[in-house]
Amino acid sequence: MNALPEFWRSEVFHPLSVHFPIALLFTALVFKCIALFYKRETFRLGGSILLLLGVIGSWVAIYTGNLADGIVARTLCDPTILKDHENFAYTTTWIFTVAVMLDLICYFFSQQLGTLALWVKRLTLILLLIGNGFLMYVGHLGATLVYQQAAGVYVPTEDCQEFE
Amino acid sequence: MKFFKTILFTFSLLFIVACGESTDVVESGTYQGKVKEVEVEKTEIYVTTDDNKTLELYFTEATKLTKNGETVDFSMLKENQKVEVTVEKTGNRLDPISVKIME
Repeated sequence: MNALPEFWRSEVFHPLSVHFPIALLFTALVFKCIALFYKRETFRLGGSILLLLGVIGSWVAIYTGNLADGIVARTLCDPTILKDHENFAYTTTWIFTVAVMLDLICYFFSQQLGTLALWVKRLTLILLLIGNGFLMYVGHLGATLVYQQAAGVYVPTEDCQEFE
Repeated sequence: MKFFKTILFTFSLLFIVACGESTDVVESGTYQGKVKEVEVEKTEIYVTTDDNKTLELYFTEATKLTKNGETVDFSMLKENQKVEVTVEKTGNRLDPISVKIME
């Protein structure tokens, strides 16, 4: 009889950690867009905090993804999807990392930057837009790995004996 | 208009960069090439074949790693070593059956 595997397996930490940066980075973009029209500190500073937390979360997701990779890749029918997922995840995380750096520069050195600050803000927004496009694609690839190839998923036996 | 062109250009450029380090899928068989990268923690290697394809190989319990006819430990694998790999294609996954270190 098959024994039900332990839930807290290495590969489980990735799906547990990926949804935070997805939500945070998308909301950061929404806040920054609203801040273009409503000059309220809530949206400007709120967007920056969400972006920073999202980037930290992204690097955590990269770490947990690397933990899962070595285990999951051996069971997939098409690991090339996993490779694309990994490559795009790194690119996405670097896009947001650059965006957060520019945002921090703007926050702390806006006086010194003068008119250049406006261009840095525009560039940050462009990176957020592009980053969110990449983020959707990375999420889509991750979802296909789980729902089409059962990546990291325990598939119960037909008679469900391990649950008795 | 210029703003959207800039976004489109940057997006395309980043997309190309993101696609960069891809791997190839080949038919079951024996291939010779060089070890491009060794990932010890994942017992995984990348091999660049003589026809310039990159194979990503995750060792399984059944993978035989040999040098001069003798079974050797995974730690013997180093970058740029010449190897001969026999792989079995399952779906789009390449399972290494055997890896021979040639030098």
